[in-house]
Order: sequence, then C-alpha cells, then structure tokens
Amino acid sequence: MAAEPDDKRRAFEEEALPHLDTVYRVALRLAGDEAQADDLVQETMLKAFRSWHQYRPGTNVRAWLLTILRHTFINEYRKRRKVVAEVDVTEVEAWTVFPAVQEVDPEGRFFDQIVDEEVLQAIDSLPDEFRETLTLSDVEGLTYAEIAEITEVPVGTVKSRLFRARQALQKQLYDYAVEMGYIKRREE
Amino acid sequence: MTDEPYNIDCHEALDRLYEYMDGELTPVRAQEVRLHLEMCAPCLAASNFENAYVRFLEARSWAQKAPEELRKKILQQILFEGERSGTT
Repeated sequence: MAAEPDDKRRAFEEEALPHLDTVYRVALRLAGDEAQADDLVQETMLKAFRSWHQYRPGTNVRAWLLTILRHTFINEYRKRRKVVAEVDVTEVEAWTVFPAVQEVDPEGRFFDQIVDEEVLQAIDSLPDEFRETLTLSDVEGLTYAEIAEITEVPVGTVKSRLFRARQALQKQLYDYAVEMGYIKRREE
Repeated sequence: MTDEPYNIDCHEALDRLYEYMDGELTPVRAQEVRLHLEMCAPCLAASNFENAYVRFLEARSWAQKAPEELRKKILQQILFEGERSGTT
C-alpha cells in the first residue's frame, strides 16, 4: 500500500511542479500582492495534489492547474484583493495610441524605457477578466483556446477581451511615458 | 474554391491584427492580412507598432519565479499529505 502514495507524489512532482513558476506569476497578477499570491499558490497546489486522480495523463496539466488556481482565487481571494481595478475597459476606443505616436515614434521605442515595475502596476489596474486574459496570453504565452478553457468563455470572448486589455494597457503606458517625458504628446 | 484569399479593407485587416500576430488565424485568413499589409503603408506602420508593443509585453514579464521557500513549503505539504493518506 505504501507504494501508491509515493507514485502519486512522484507523478505530481514530475508533471505539475515544473509549472510552479507559471502558477506563481498568474497568482501574483490575480491576487495583487506577494503574501496573498503565496497563500493562493499553496492552496492551489495542495488542491491539485488532492485531486490528482482527476487529472487525465497526457492532457494539458498547465491549463488544469491554472483552472484550479482561478477557481480558488474567485471563491476565496477575490474579495481580499487590495489593488482595485481603476481602468474602465469599456471606455477604450480602438487604436488609441498609434495615431498619436506615428509622427514622433512609429516604432514604439518609448516602450523600452518603461521599467518592469511600472508595466506590472499598469497590468494590475485592469479589471479581473481583462487582467487574467492578458496575463495568460502575454505573460505566459497561452493560446486563445487554452485561455478560453481556463476562463470558461468562448474563444471570441477571449479575443475581444485581449484586444481591449492590450489597448487599455497601451494607453496607460503611453500616458505614463508622456508624463515621464519619454515621448512628446502630439500637439493638438 | 470557397477558401481562396479575398481582398480585405483596412478595417478588417486591423480588426484581425492581434489574431494575425498571435498566430491564431487560419492560413488563408492570415494570408489576407499579409496581402493587405504588403500594399497598405498606413496599416503596415500600425502593424509594426503593435508588433513592437506585444513583443515588449512578452519580453518583460517572464522574470519572476516562484520563491524557493514557497517551493519547499509545497513539497513539504504534499509529502505530509501523501503520508497521511498512506496510513488510512
């Protein structure tokens, strides 16, 4: 009988644990701070271990872990999030930034001057569903189909959320770059 | 004959731009965007800008790793769980 839990543990360590960095990064963006992310990740991995028998070998273990993470976040952590989303994504018009920079910086070189911390802070100011979609796509490189599976929405919804999230974030970063003097605001 | 590439306009090309960059379009739909960008300088410029932006996002966010302490805690927890379920 002793061999059985050992096999389970070994399989979990070999297949699930390599995705710990991904789970942690997504948890950080969902939860908004390190202490909460720490707890959220521990709870997620423990739940995953306990329900390891439900995981079908050969299927997408990363998506499976991120689904558990997301459910844990929504059920227990969302209310505790300290950073409140302040960007109204519905206000974002299509292609807001390029027309403003095409004369002075059409290649978007100003982006490279923005420090990581500022980018993460801007991501954190997006509403939940846009923040999670953008994180899964642009931080973790998941496909639209994987994101649709994890966030339980149609692929078309992933597409439109990603579009609006990227545009809203771009506008935030542009405003920041203008404020910092990395780029001149277009003359009105 | 139904899946030949069509000429698409600027609106359609820009609407598909992120999907195009993300490799989410079928080959024919992607070819339509590519053909439009080849002949439309303003859309090509917008596409270069958006491409730089998304590559910048992807390049930035990879740095953070799970803290070593957290990894250890999780290993301990599952070891403890394994022993507990093993004795029942």
